[in-house]
Amino acid sequence: MSDLFEPNIVAFVCNWCTYTGADLAGTSRLTMAPNVRIIRLPCTGRIDTLFILKAFERGADGVIVSGCHPADCHYTAGNYHARRRFAVFRELMEFAGIDPQRVTFSWVSASEGGKWAEVVNNATEQVRRLGPFQKYPSPAAHAGEIACKS
Amino acid sequence: MQELRDLAKKLLLDKQVNAILGYEWDRRGARPAFITEAGDCDRLVFDHRCVQNLAAYLSPRRANIAQLGRLAVVIKACDARAVAGLIRENQLKREDLVLIGVRCGGVVVNPSDSEQLNAENIAPRCVGCEQREPTLADHLVGETQSAPVGKANRDLRLSEIEKLNPEERLSLWTSLLSQCTRCYACRQVCPMCFCERCIADKTQPAWIESSPHSRGNFSWHLTRALHLAGRCVDCGECERACPAGIPLGLLNHKVARIVASRYGYAVSDDPSRETPIGSYRLDDEQEFIA
Amino acid sequence: MNNRRMLNKTDFEDFVDSLLRAGITVIAPVRREQGGEKVEYRPIHSPAEIVLSGQPPVRPLKEVVFPPTEPLFNWKQTKASVQIEEVPTEFKETVVVGARPCDAAALEIVDKVMGWDYRDELWFGRRQAVTVLSLACPQSDDSCFCTAVGLSPESTRGADWFMSSVDGGFEIEILTPKGEKLLERCKDRCRETKGRTNAMPSLDAKVRANLNIDPGKVREWLEKHFDDPLWSDVALRCHGCGACAFVCPTCHCFDIVDELDGIGRGQRRRNWDACQPALFTLHGSGHNPRKDQTARFRQRIMHKFNIYPARFGEVLCTGCGRCIRACAAGMDLISILSEIDRKSAEEGA
Repeated sequence: MSDLFEPNIVAFVCNWCTYTGADLAGTSRLTMAPNVRIIRLPCTGRIDTLFILKAFERGADGVIVSGCHPADCHYTAGNYHARRRFAVFRELMEFAGIDPQRVTFSWVSASEGGKWAEVVNNATEQVRRLGPFQKYPSPAAHAGEIACKS
Repeated sequence: MQELRDLAKKLLLDKQVNAILGYEWDRRGARPAFITEAGDCDRLVFDHRCVQNLAAYLSPRRANIAQLGRLAVVIKACDARAVAGLIRENQLKREDLVLIGVRCGGVVVNPSDSEQLNAENIAPRCVGCEQREPTLADHLVGETQSAPVGKANRDLRLSEIEKLNPEERLSLWTSLLSQCTRCYACRQVCPMCFCERCIADKTQPAWIESSPHSRGNFSWHLTRALHLAGRCVDCGECERACPAGIPLGLLNHKVARIVASRYGYAVSDDPSRETPIGSYRLDDEQEFIA
Repeated sequence: MNNRRMLNKTDFEDFVDSLLRAGITVIAPVRREQGGEKVEYRPIHSPAEIVLSGQPPVRPLKEVVFPPTEPLFNWKQTKASVQIEEVPTEFKETVVVGARPCDAAALEIVDKVMGWDYRDELWFGRRQAVTVLSLACPQSDDSCFCTAVGLSPESTRGADWFMSSVDGGFEIEILTPKGEKLLERCKDRCRETKGRTNAMPSLDAKVRANLNIDPGKVREWLEKHFDDPLWSDVALRCHGCGACAFVCPTCHCFDIVDELDGIGRGQRRRNWDACQPALFTLHGSGHNPRKDQTARFRQRIMHKFNIYPARFGEVLCTGCGRCIRACAAGMDLISILSEIDRKSAEEGA
């Protein structure tokens, strides 16, 4: 166990479906990987793609984005808008070199506690296989400047 | 050329507009010209060296240009797509502008480039461009042009990058973007980057780090490309303006291909056409969502 | 012993190689990784990379001593206390080979402001670590105007060695104690020589043809014309980006930001800033004292050709022409300065 890489995963979830679903997973005492930290937002429509980049900037190895199934959005269409944005961002991100396996998108409703546990376990396994995200761009020194004596 | 000058003169003399925004020669090729006197209209020119997208000057936030009053603008087909974008996004009213469309057979990369347009020096974005003249125009001037021919192939470059593995792609972009010093020339010359306060300039919280290190630059350029999804008019100004020589057009071209393949969308100069981000269909593909 | 030496080409390359082997950082103009003909000042690994001919590097030498972003200190927060960790202000010995005279001169001009009301430790730390070998300018284009601001393609200002290309090698003028110290490293390779032979035809006349003005007259005109139609006319074209400032060897404005590196730790950094974007002078209240591009563009010219001369006795410009080459909107400092010169002559007459 101690030799295993334990990834840090940040989950951005919507208040109405996935957060409640995750709550259900907890109250149902389902076992799942302890690697995920949840950040609750009103709607997937509120999840800016910059949240995903920010999570990686601050050292996350993986990200989960989850909300209401299509037709279930508390605000009618937030998830439809989000779906388009994520679809484009995911392909752009892949083109820029972020392995899409590091970012899991899912729909988890308030009654799908079991599905949430599955999403968490799958994402954790997937990111564990990829290893720590050390290659994410860092604030290294500029190429042309005179280096410090050290 | 005379046709353009006569039209401009007439528009000014008839008081249809207060100023003409077009092109003129300077020491180093073509540059934007702001003409307010009919007598100065003979300075106006147009040829393949008039590469700038003048729609960038039409943002209502350019206070010193708004002061000129009602404008007539010289636009190529690609520039017209930007004007349409500004109208679509409620930045401009169609009736507040006179649009002088110019027929275009492609442009060079830099306004100081050669007097001859050929397959070697043509801007890569013009290769394959199917629009010789804007449909969104009040007047159309210039001779009929043939479709531009060129050797550049942006799709080939894209597929070369796509063939790399994720780690190789990440180090390629990290190295390319590490050259960025955040002069924001890419943003300022972009006709579609008109936000009152850019996300990159916000400090509370600082969503995009303003430091020009690889981490901040990665976040900025990915976000810039995404915010232009379905909005980029492919005028190539960002890449031309970049003093660090970063191939920004590749990111925009990639995003344009994504929205084309997923949502069948191609940017147009029809202001009534809905853009792919900001609209949706109930049955949009969602193969990536578990 | 005089201060002129002759070094043939292979000996020069051996000398650069010996510097690299001694662990000294060597920075020189090299081709961009993916940029075709364009060159930049970058650390080299072998003398073969150096490109001394053609257009000057797109970006100036300033970023060697004043990086686009650098940490000022690191901080760590634990409960109620904050620990500050200073950044080192001593730097690795570095030699710049093949600096353009306009770039070398800029370092000395900016020294004045960096050592004015307080001494900038990071700037002078790097300045002390660097020995600048500049090269008589091999090429000029229609954007060059160094002769109009008191320099020339053969200006030795700011250089520790001044090198001129001659048949088979370089003639070197040793100008400073730092330069003499570096000479120790290649004493046996070079031989003494007499006068400057100036084998290469001077570019002086060609540059002078681009722009021939008196900066003093320009300053007098600027003093009297804070409000002039010239400003609103030329500023129409300006997009308000920072490209001109960021390729300028003398622009030195910076911004200071705090950035997190994780939870409870981060860095205070200083980043290049530029006076053309509106954000530069935007107050927290929403008021902006430089309300439009006209005011902002005037500031750029005023600072370089009036304010800096008033405070430090010389213009903040070396005539490298980079702002002209970089501007996407075709803003042309040569045209603007000659327009001011023309106006000033008209009014003087």
